[in-house]
Amino acid sequence: MRMLLERRTAVFESAVRAHLEDLFRYAYWLCRNRWRAEDLVQETLARAWRGWAGLREPRVVKSWLFTILYHEFARDAARPGNQREGEAPANEPYAGDDPALRLDMAKALDQISPESRDALLLQVLGGFSCGEIARILGSSEGAVMTRLSRARQGLRRALEPGEVDREAREG
Amino acid sequence: MSCLEFRRAVLVDPRRLDPELRAHAGRCAACGELLASTLELEDRLAESLQVPFPAGFVDRVLRNAIQQSLGGRRWLAVAASLVLAIALAAALAWPRNDPLARAGIDFVLYEEAQAILDAKPADRAVLERVASGLGVALPGQLGEIRYVGTCPFAGAIAHHVVVKTPLGKATLLLMPERPLASRVVASANGFEAAIVPARGGSVAIVSPSQRALVRVEAILGVS
Repeated sequence: MRMLLERRTAVFESAVRAHLEDLFRYAYWLCRNRWRAEDLVQETLARAWRGWAGLREPRVVKSWLFTILYHEFARDAARPGNQREGEAPANEPYAGDDPALRLDMAKALDQISPESRDALLLQVLGGFSCGEIARILGSSEGAVMTRLSRARQGLRRALEPGEVDREAREG
Repeated sequence: MSCLEFRRAVLVDPRRLDPELRAHAGRCAACGELLASTLELEDRLAESLQVPFPAGFVDRVLRNAIQQSLGGRRWLAVAASLVLAIALAAALAWPRNDPLARAGIDFVLYEEAQAILDAKPADRAVLERVASGLGVALPGQLGEIRYVGTCPFAGAIAHHVVVKTPLGKATLLLMPERPLASRVVASANGFEAAIVPARGGSVAIVSPSQRALVRVEAILGVS
């Protein structure tokens, strides 16, 4: 029994370990809070561990984990006091070279709708296709494509207003 | 392939353009410029999303998640064992309808009247001897003995006694040849029955109420 458990633990760890950084960053950008993001990832892993025996296709582990995390976040956000809007600003340490860039990007992300933002984050952080994003968010592929388009237009409008105006003028 | 289609595709997923779209970007300067600027924005976005990863995070969350699940499972196992134990105890403690005691009720319901009609007059002295042999007392406070006879019951000869007690009618079946290991009970059709071990045999008590049954059992001195 103990050997079986150790074996199962080892297989689970090796399958999920590679995705945890992406998972954490996705959680962080969903909730903009490092501690809550850690909790979300931990709860996601706990659920994944419990459902591990039922996972029929190990190759979809990554999208499975993101799906669990997204639903966990949605459940968490539905509780009183955990609404998505009005999150604390992203005052976290930054790994890149340009801290201003991240602040600008955080503000720009705030200006697009949560639905579009969720889809964009899944594509950029998770590297998922439109079909995979649709399955994670429980939406249609067409709706995801629309959300992604709107998200990128929204980002450009927020970050490069002059450029968008110029393009609009030029048709 | 039109520029409009290209622009739509670039906004959806600029890093997964099919070869035809890429070829269009190579031919159309405006679309090529749009692709370059979009990819540059993608790079900036990807870079800005790289929040630092907490030290020791992977090992910590993996360990906690598995322990949390195992802890929950352990608690579930303990709870399940507890429920099982309670259910088992309740099942053992719950008075069940013992077949022999149930046969006592059936006797009263379906055979007693005929047994009284068919029986020859019994000798009270024999009953006293049998009762004494079983260690059973039949004092006056038990009630008025209305009938004494013998009849077959459960494969043995029973000394059949009908008593009018202050709490209602009670039927006794004294069975000197039917030993019993422990008290058994039954409840059916508005009757309560108990068969209790007595010295070398057993005594069945059938009464319409639990209260009357308990009283008779206490007076007989077999409980």
